Amino acid sequence: MRNIVVVICLITSCALGVRAESLSPADIKSLLENIREKRAAAPSMQADFQEQRKVHLLDEPINSSGKIWFQAPTKFRIERKGNAPSITVSDGEQLWIYYPNFKSAEHYSLAKRSPLDAAISAITTALNLENVEHTFHIAGDKAGKGYDLELTPRNPSMKRIFQKLLLHLSDDLFAERTDMLQPNGDQIVTTYQNPNHAAIPASQFEFTPPPGTEVSTPLGK
Amino acid sequence: MRFSEKVAFLVTERRSLMWSVVVLIAIVGVGILVAFLRLDTEVLNLLPRGFDSVEGLKTYNSEFAQTRELTFALLCQPEDADKLEEFAPKFVEKLRAQPWCVRVLAGSPMETPDGVRDLQRIALPLLLNLEPEDFDRAISLLQPQKIQERLAQLRREIESGSPRPEIELTLDPLGLITPSLKPFAGNAAMETDQPLTSPDSTMRVFPTVTNQPSISAFDCQKLMKQVNAFRASAVEGWDGGKLEVLITGRSAYVAEISLSMRHDIVATVLSSIALVGAVFFIGFRRWLPLLGMGFALLLCCLIGLAAGLLIFHRLNMVTVGFCAILVGLGVDFAILIYGRYQQARSEGDGHRVAVADAVHSLGRAVFFGALTTAVGFLALVLSNSSGFIQLGVLIAIGISAAGVLMTTVFFLFVPRGNVPLRNDWILDSVRNYVHRMLARPRSILAISAPILMALLIIAMVPQIPLTFEANARSLEPKNSRAGTALSLIMQKMPVRWEPVLGIVRAATEQQLHDFWKSISQHWAELQRAGKIKSFSTPNALALSPREMQRNRLELASINFDAARTALQNALTQNRFNPGAFASAFELLNQLQAAAAPDFKIPSWRTQLPLGSAWWFLVERYFAQDSLTTTGFVTTNTPVATQEQKNVLARELPVAGIPITLSGWSYTLTDLVPWSHRQLLLISALMAIFDASLLAILYRDLRLWLVQVITLALAVAAMIASMKLLNVPLNLLNVLAFRLVLAIGVDYGIYVLLVWQRSHDVARDLTGVVKPVVLAGLTAIAGFGSLGWAHNPTLSGLGVACAIGLFWSLAATIFFTLPAAVAVKPKLPQGHFTEAELEHA
Repeated sequence: MRNIVVVICLITSCALGVRAESLSPADIKSLLENIREKRAAAPSMQADFQEQRKVHLLDEPINSSGKIWFQAPTKFRIERKGNAPSITVSDGEQLWIYYPNFKSAEHYSLAKRSPLDAAISAITTALNLENVEHTFHIAGDKAGKGYDLELTPRNPSMKRIFQKLLLHLSDDLFAERTDMLQPNGDQIVTTYQNPNHAAIPASQFEFTPPPGTEVSTPLGK
Repeated sequence: MRFSEKVAFLVTERRSLMWSVVVLIAIVGVGILVAFLRLDTEVLNLLPRGFDSVEGLKTYNSEFAQTRELTFALLCQPEDADKLEEFAPKFVEKLRAQPWCVRVLAGSPMETPDGVRDLQRIALPLLLNLEPEDFDRAISLLQPQKIQERLAQLRREIESGSPRPEIELTLDPLGLITPSLKPFAGNAAMETDQPLTSPDSTMRVFPTVTNQPSISAFDCQKLMKQVNAFRASAVEGWDGGKLEVLITGRSAYVAEISLSMRHDIVATVLSSIALVGAVFFIGFRRWLPLLGMGFALLLCCLIGLAAGLLIFHRLNMVTVGFCAILVGLGVDFAILIYGRYQQARSEGDGHRVAVADAVHSLGRAVFFGALTTAVGFLALVLSNSSGFIQLGVLIAIGISAAGVLMTTVFFLFVPRGNVPLRNDWILDSVRNYVHRMLARPRSILAISAPILMALLIIAMVPQIPLTFEANARSLEPKNSRAGTALSLIMQKMPVRWEPVLGIVRAATEQQLHDFWKSISQHWAELQRAGKIKSFSTPNALALSPREMQRNRLELASINFDAARTALQNALTQNRFNPGAFASAFELLNQLQAAAAPDFKIPSWRTQLPLGSAWWFLVERYFAQDSLTTTGFVTTNTPVATQEQKNVLARELPVAGIPITLSGWSYTLTDLVPWSHRQLLLISALMAIFDASLLAILYRDLRLWLVQVITLALAVAAMIASMKLLNVPLNLLNVLAFRLVLAIGVDYGIYVLLVWQRSHDVARDLTGVVKPVVLAGLTAIAGFGSLGWAHNPTLSGLGVACAIGLFWSLAATIFFTLPAAVAVKPKLPQGHFTEAELEHA
């Protein structure tokens, strides 16, 4: 009986070993090349998402869900549902966050070294993976289904925002789960479901505050 | 005994006495130099006094922290931009570890935990400094209900995914700090004003404050020696392509300028002596008189420098050009005197008689030459620039000394024995020219006059412009590493144009606060009216003891226990982590303590750590004396004209508040008209002096007219040449015109006096034209040698003078003389009376 258990354990270990096979740098390079081809063929993505945020200011994590639209390289729209709904829209240069419950919106200019730049990069990195090898040290495993990548920022500006980005890609090389760990201990885990790569109209990435909305620019113009 | 005979007696029969006097002068001069030599390396001291903008610039340059600030920049190849971002923190770590480094700004302080913590440390005094209505509004947030409402709202916003509440709660959990930190309100303000990374990410800039003990040239050199050693090792660990470490800043400039002064002194004096010596030897083939001339010139320099030190106590960088200029000028006298002496010897006179003859014949010309040159340089006293005033006075003293020494001490080196010159081709050429000129003056004028007229036209037509460099870089040393670094940084960092500075001094803290409060309100109105683009002031950092006392009394009405309880409850109800809000409780404790009547509020200066990056922002506003401050106004367009400056000078000040407006661009709008005025006014005054002197000297309208026209044509030819050769004028080499005028007058005097007074015109003109040509060539060589100076002020002055002197000499030989012969034909020798001949 004891031998049977040992054999089962060995078989299980071997199986697990097969399921988490480390990728060599050449494999990662090849994988990224495949991802680039995929993105070139299908630059748009929309999916449902579920997000869990552990914020150091709060005692318990915040869970939210909604839908995301993404267009490579940097355009996205996130609609959160639930008790605290919001709409986040970015065209790569401007970022709007609209809070229907408060009838207010925040407007941020990106690419002016705002603190949001790296955070936005994290989203676009996970969904796009364009040129990530230049800004991240990348390690990876071949999982049973798809791939697990660990991205560690090279740049200090990225390091200030997150320490590590764990990314699980499906077999067809699209993000299924991201896990971002920030230096202050905050953590954001996002899972994507029901992905769709149909074209997205440009208007989806534009935002005009509804009449009566109070607009603020928290980081200045 | 005539004066010339007395001189001849002393230098030939009383040589021991003469040498004793010379040694005494040398000992006294050297003693003064050793005991009192102080150099002033401040480039701004070259600018004229009497302009508020210049004084403001000096204040900003000397009293604000930028005096001890160096700017480091790393510049990489475009393909290495990512590597640079990775390497930058390592570089900063090395930089911070240097013993001379006090602090480094490596990014916005708001992006670092230390930066946020430092900001929270200074919150209390700045909060208490708020205007009453702002303070009341701020502390109303401490009402228990408001604390709860605010935190509940922020909690909901976090759930909605907004990044703002996290930023706000991390910095300012009670909502009291933000209103008190107006200067820091835009957390990217410092980055916006002074970006630290170039748009293409190939350059990163690191402003660094050093612990340099003083801003003297020697301390700057000492610091830069250490900094350059660091530069050599700073790129260790870099694995990309070429990476440049650029360093600029005041200390870098001062170290370079002071070192280049040493180079300039050595290079210009040596090259000047070599060139002048070469011309002298070619002309006369004698070594001892050449040595005597060099010795006499050295003595002149010594006398000038010693007298200058006694008068001014400290010599400016421009005066290093004094020696080269003096050599160029003083050599004229030696050549003239020696030329005449040699002529007398070759005609059979003995040594003493020849000395007396030379002094007698040319003493008058040397005296007037020295007088006009001395007065020409003394006119620099009107320039208002301490550097040029010194230069003018030193040269006036030196040239006067040269006039005396070249007619006395110089002869101590002339041997008694006579070795006639063989094959004097220069003299032969001059003789041929003089004969031809006397026979057919109009044929020479037919060539020279059209050339000079053509140049006059070129000088006058506006279609060919004379470049005027009115930027600060025209004053920097050539190939300056600090200058190149600054230039590269400016290219890579396209920031807004330079703001106008408004420097305010106050007697008390309260007065400073009141001043800036009024100014800020006034500038805000100007901004609303569209008259200025933006502004920033130290208003929020200028503490008001009156407001602080009033606000502390208000604090007594706050129930801090209730506020503390409300905060605790709100955190619990909204499921916040209490550990993350420790700074909120700390601030409540501080406010409660501040409400006590005997509490002494600490100054924010003592609360901010020495290494805090916020000092970079604070020190933009405050000088070392905290009651000297500056505000910044960004205009709608760069300040480029005096009209703009006048509008700003009218609009920016507030009645009753003394404010000095300055900044480089702003100051240049004063300096450009100043230098134009210099060119016109002082040159005109000098021209009037020269014209009057010539009128007295010649007492002949036609000769006077000939000389005046010659001077005008020579100056016009100088301007035309500068236009055609694209030699720019700068703020300082405009002074070359008066120098050329002074020397041009001398040349005219030498030849016209001989022409007017001689009874053997061909012989005497030949005797004077040769020395004048040689003197002209040596002066051109002397001034031309300044072109080797690293300091563009000196090299620009040298090149402009060399061009001007060339035309003065050419105009004298090819225009003045033939014109004088043409308009006033010489009468036969028999026409002169005995008395006139004797006088001549």
